[in-house]
Amino acid sequence: MAIRKEAYKALESVVGSEFITDDPILCEGYRSGPGGYESATGYERVMTMPPGAVILPRTTEDVQKIVKICNRYKVAYVPYSTGFYGPRSHCHVKNELLIDMKRMRDFELDDKHWYAAVQPGVTYSPLQAECLKRGGYVVVGGGGAQVSVVANMICDGWSPLSLRIGFPHRRILGVEVVLPDGEILRMGSLAVHDDAFWGEGIGPDLRGMLRGYTGVLGCLGIVTKLALKILPFQPEELKPTGISPNTGLALPVNRVKWLNFQVPSKEAETQVMYEIGKAEIAGAVTKVPLFWRAIAKTEGKEEFWDEWGKESEETIKNFHIVRVLLIGFTSEAQMRYDEAVLNDIVKEVGGVQRPTKPIDQSWIKNADSAGMWLMCGAYVSVDYIIESIPHADTHGPTYAKLKARYTPPFMPDYGDPGWTMVCEAGHQGYSEYLVYWDPDEDTNPVDQFYVETSKMNIKDRYYTSLLGSHQPLYLTGPKYGPNYHEWLLKIKGEFDPAWICHPPVPLAHDEFVERAEWMKSTKDWETPDELPMPKW
Amino acid sequence: MSIKDELEQIVEKKNVRDAAEDLVRYSRDLSLNPPGMPEVIVRPETSQQVAAVVRWAGTNNVPVVPVSSSTHFHGCTIPKQGGVILDMVNMNRILEIDEYNRKVCIEAGVTWRQLTEELDKRDMRVIMPLLPHPERSVLTDWLEREVPTNTVYDYGEPMQSLEVVWPTGEIFRAGSASVNGYPDSKSKGTNPSGPGLDFYRFVQGAQGTMGVVTWTNLKIESKPKIDNILFAAIDDLGRAQDFLYRILPRRIGQEVVLLNNVDLATILTDKWPDDFEKLRAALPAWTLIIVISGLLRRPEEKVAYEMEFLGEVIRNEFKDIALTDNLPGFPGIGKKLLSLLRKPWPKEVYWKNQWKGAAHSLFFIAKPSATPLYKSIVEEIAEAYGYALEGLGMYIQPIEHNRACHMEFNFFYDPECASEKALIKSLSCEAAKELLNSGAFFTRPYGDLAAINYERAGGYASALKRIKKLFDPNNIMNPGNLCF
Amino acid sequence: MANDRYDTPKKKVSFEVRDLNNFVYDMSRCIKCKGCYWVEHTYMPGIKYTTRCPSGTWNEFDSYQAAGKVRIGLAVAEGKFDWTPKLLEVIYADPLCGACDVGCKRNLDLEIGLSLEALRIKAVKDGAGPMPAHKKIARNIADTHNRFGAPHDSRKKWIDKGIGVAEKADVLYFGGCSASYTNNEIAQATGKVLNASGTPFMVMKDEWCCGNVLYSVGMIDEATEIAKRNIEAVKASGAKTLLTSCAECYRTWKVDYPKMLDIATADLGFDVIHLLEFADDAIRNGSVKPVRNVDLRLTYHDACSVSRLCDAWRPWKGERGWMGTIEPRYKRRRGAEGLYGQPRNILGAIPGLTVVEMPRIRENAFCCGAGRGTKEAFPDLARFSANQRLEEVREVGAEALVSACPFCKNNFSQAVKAHGEEVKVMDIAEVILASL
Repeated sequence: MAIRKEAYKALESVVGSEFITDDPILCEGYRSGPGGYESATGYERVMTMPPGAVILPRTTEDVQKIVKICNRYKVAYVPYSTGFYGPRSHCHVKNELLIDMKRMRDFELDDKHWYAAVQPGVTYSPLQAECLKRGGYVVVGGGGAQVSVVANMICDGWSPLSLRIGFPHRRILGVEVVLPDGEILRMGSLAVHDDAFWGEGIGPDLRGMLRGYTGVLGCLGIVTKLALKILPFQPEELKPTGISPNTGLALPVNRVKWLNFQVPSKEAETQVMYEIGKAEIAGAVTKVPLFWRAIAKTEGKEEFWDEWGKESEETIKNFHIVRVLLIGFTSEAQMRYDEAVLNDIVKEVGGVQRPTKPIDQSWIKNADSAGMWLMCGAYVSVDYIIESIPHADTHGPTYAKLKARYTPPFMPDYGDPGWTMVCEAGHQGYSEYLVYWDPDEDTNPVDQFYVETSKMNIKDRYYTSLLGSHQPLYLTGPKYGPNYHEWLLKIKGEFDPAWICHPPVPLAHDEFVERAEWMKSTKDWETPDELPMPKW
Repeated sequence: MSIKDELEQIVEKKNVRDAAEDLVRYSRDLSLNPPGMPEVIVRPETSQQVAAVVRWAGTNNVPVVPVSSSTHFHGCTIPKQGGVILDMVNMNRILEIDEYNRKVCIEAGVTWRQLTEELDKRDMRVIMPLLPHPERSVLTDWLEREVPTNTVYDYGEPMQSLEVVWPTGEIFRAGSASVNGYPDSKSKGTNPSGPGLDFYRFVQGAQGTMGVVTWTNLKIESKPKIDNILFAAIDDLGRAQDFLYRILPRRIGQEVVLLNNVDLATILTDKWPDDFEKLRAALPAWTLIIVISGLLRRPEEKVAYEMEFLGEVIRNEFKDIALTDNLPGFPGIGKKLLSLLRKPWPKEVYWKNQWKGAAHSLFFIAKPSATPLYKSIVEEIAEAYGYALEGLGMYIQPIEHNRACHMEFNFFYDPECASEKALIKSLSCEAAKELLNSGAFFTRPYGDLAAINYERAGGYASALKRIKKLFDPNNIMNPGNLCF
Repeated sequence: MANDRYDTPKKKVSFEVRDLNNFVYDMSRCIKCKGCYWVEHTYMPGIKYTTRCPSGTWNEFDSYQAAGKVRIGLAVAEGKFDWTPKLLEVIYADPLCGACDVGCKRNLDLEIGLSLEALRIKAVKDGAGPMPAHKKIARNIADTHNRFGAPHDSRKKWIDKGIGVAEKADVLYFGGCSASYTNNEIAQATGKVLNASGTPFMVMKDEWCCGNVLYSVGMIDEATEIAKRNIEAVKASGAKTLLTSCAECYRTWKVDYPKMLDIATADLGFDVIHLLEFADDAIRNGSVKPVRNVDLRLTYHDACSVSRLCDAWRPWKGERGWMGTIEPRYKRRRGAEGLYGQPRNILGAIPGLTVVEMPRIRENAFCCGAGRGTKEAFPDLARFSANQRLEEVREVGAEALVSACPFCKNNFSQAVKAHGEEVKVMDIAEVILASL
């Protein structure tokens, strides 16, 4: 399997022979799965394949030339920044070009104006390191510090540190995109200047095309440069300590500390998080699934299952630990103020402080997201939605109820309702539902569960993430907007009429449901006889 | 059937007008734009009616100009190609105040006066731009990206999910209000983003060209328990910016505002014209206003730590800045300004219009360090045009940790004097070009600014037109604005 | 097991590298987090020096870092590909520095290092590997018992009059091929340090190559023969401790020998230590006294085989079942036993030295790129890696670069010379000696 010779030659002239290959061995290295995010699923097996060729551009001009060549020869392509995101960021059709963005690593930082401009090959890890050196920080997305900043900012992008800034799209400033037809679109101040410091449109804001709460997996173009906001932090150093696997940032506790509180009930949990938001204190607040704590405590998989085996529905129901990160942005006195207010809040609900190590192993550098796979070997977050606190309160338990019907193959988690936190100082609540399974089990129910969650959200009138990228567009489309899918398809059709940019997204999940035998039973919605896209 | 007749079929008869005296009122506003007459005025009462009017207009190729306020400063609502004025005045309900989730849901016709009075009763507030006109639509001011005086919220804009009628006539909900059955849903409409794409971005800054927003959810905030308003007299703008670069990233202050003597005098003057001349002459070149507030919990302690921090910074690094709770020579200014900052403009004549009858505002987003340069650019051009510098109003609004700022120049003029208007129009154009060349970023290209900016941002304009064409294939939605 | 909740069939599996199928699980569970490639995030220094995978940094296709290699490895296990030059390059252009293994094991329980070793063993078994340069080394070892093909009887020439070697002692100093032939200065410095400490030491009657390259390139049968022979020789000598000043020999003896023989390091019958461990103890207990000023601003390079790769070997075989859990339990080798503190203690005790750390140190160190047969087969990769490291040396303004491995020393020296730079490249044995 390879792309057309003429196309290959033309592409080779852009980057040189060193940075393009159609060798099947090298292409095999770019296969999605079998391990990874949302891997070991029917979607991955049915919808992905190794690329026909891989190319490594260096500049925006390279990308533009590549896209134009692909247009000329009708070569499908997928932009790929690290490949971490699982099957949906890999090749879906035959003879597809995978555009590996890792050589695009330009990085600028303006610490006076609190922003950095990056190319897609820059991950959060070095960005955060550079920010911390200068008294700033960014929100490293839950996916981990290894994810591409650009990819995360146009698809997901939050963590408990989003307490104050909230929605990830708010952090995007100027952006440069190579549209599917090869035109370059610069947004924000980049539209008129060589400086990406501001992101709003000149008039209407075309950043609306980049994402919609969550993103569209690069099917509307390739972001080649993105500026994002850095948040002011505090001046003390967070020293990396420990030898792998026990590394972490030693926190200067006069200016940064994590505090764990045990509270008597779920309502108390919600109240604490709500009041913290309302009091406009703290840098992060979250309640994590109990099994994450077990992962952090144990040395390996078997030990995890020992620990986890001790839990039950009872213990889950009674596990109410809220984690709070205090940051002394202004001064030590401000830190003391925050802590006094926090203690007032916790006291009001009858909570107690639990011992907490003065170390951050998770969110600030987020070096441990890979631990999600320790337990079972396969994992996906089926939904992660910022809405209101009441929405978050019930969304997780609703998922847990549905998931129980699919356990096994899902991991036994005794009905844990998932991860919650608050955003934008409590104006929103957040719930994320994560599922885990053993890839060697029958994974068909995983695929079926995925679609059932969309139906559950529609029926119970929840908002949901991953609209347009992960769920059947013709299932969710009519029910949200309504008919958001028609606008999305119109915009897709306008900018990529030949559907060469990451086909068949955003109809990939619809296509999957049509192709996979075990999905037929889930299909109870209308789709057109022919999905409105060219056949690959 | 006449247009009026047809529209009366859609909305009630009382909600359709085409008398000359009514049409004239919509044909002009407080901007420098030339007048333009609509053909008819429609005042729908429901989203369905809005949708029906828009569908009718689409079918009949008649322009629609959405109007949500009774006062307009920028010319967007002057019909450029005739058509129907879609006045949202009847859609002025506060649909919901949700104190738990700290949000309101308001229709497009809800005014600042109306909303602030209602929220006041519940000890809540919505963050505000500087002294909004009391009769302006809150929804539209936020859609048009007015910049808030409050610098402390990282999340900036209060907008959440909204409902829009697209130019094709479809009613669509953006954000989490898109859930079927909303508001009878688990979703409360707090998320502006999605579904699928960030549709709400397309209508922001759109000057009514991308659709008619019928209602929106907005974040509201708790009212502080304690407020300390502080002032510093500033001669050197660059030095003021150094100070703001130092303190704002430390999350100091609620409202932080920088006004020159002309603007501040315009705001403070009660007795015109005598007090104005005195104030303008006596006020320092710039006044930095910082409100330090204590919130719901331990308010005194919050004020204390912020004051302690400020004191230390001033003692050690900014001895030349005297930040006090009163501006020397201006007794009572604190109380007066604090009240002004938390409410819409209280008087009948808008503050910008008190002096000469009208003012033209030229504003953009800038890096704060560049503001002294922009000041000298505009002053030089103003002088060249014979515009007296002692009549040049200036306002700088720091944004989010001083990562950027809104910079605004106010040119005051007599709206009855054609030559003055022409002078200011030309002056403003030339200044805009020079400012753009020097790094200023115009996110709200009203009037002449549109052509200047879209020419330079050709790629952006081209993509924008492609999007516009999808939503408004016949270009009926407020044509003649922006690049449409 | 209490966790046998589902009906998952159990599979017999072991960490025996002779069978690639033992590592299909590990290769199939790679999540592409690229912890194998990046410096560990907690220690990420900034926008420069972000990676610690030499092969993946040298050739930027994913296929050259572990995340790509394991996917290719699965295809090899399935018999999907013929052995092509490209496939051999992917598998062999790699110093097996352990960054991927340790990086992955920060969070997961996957045996990436063993998977890569098993791939090479399969390449050799299938008659495709190793690389021609490796075959030459193998011939040399077979003919002259050293990897250079130099005369075997010159092996002990480094022992000069100034060094006292005992007939019999508890400590046996294993010089290794490099110290014996190309880097006499290391063996000599080590000998003198041992003498100065008052610790008697002997050398092997008939020292042969440890077989490091043979094992590393997948020639496990030949390497096993050498291992058996060498272990017998040490036992016959009566030594309680084998000491070496070569990181690669250290790893080979301590880890690969027991691995090949399916025993634990603890069951070798003698201790294996590096000069670093000896000198650290000796300085602490006063038997080595660094008294002379050494006026040098130096930086220390953590050679892979005394860092990520030297956790004591523990064999394992058993069953894997539900959720991938194994029985019996296995304490994973995550690189936490690396000799990180010892060299820093040693250097800290030497008067006059200014020790500055490079951005990537300890388990995040960027491999010199030379070891385990890599330089011979892929000189460009070795050059590239050395140059990457030298950038860090420049960054911290060090006058000298010190390591505990002759492979590192020689590769860095060549790179320094090629650039015409003034950096002194030394072995830690020389630095210690200079302080006595």
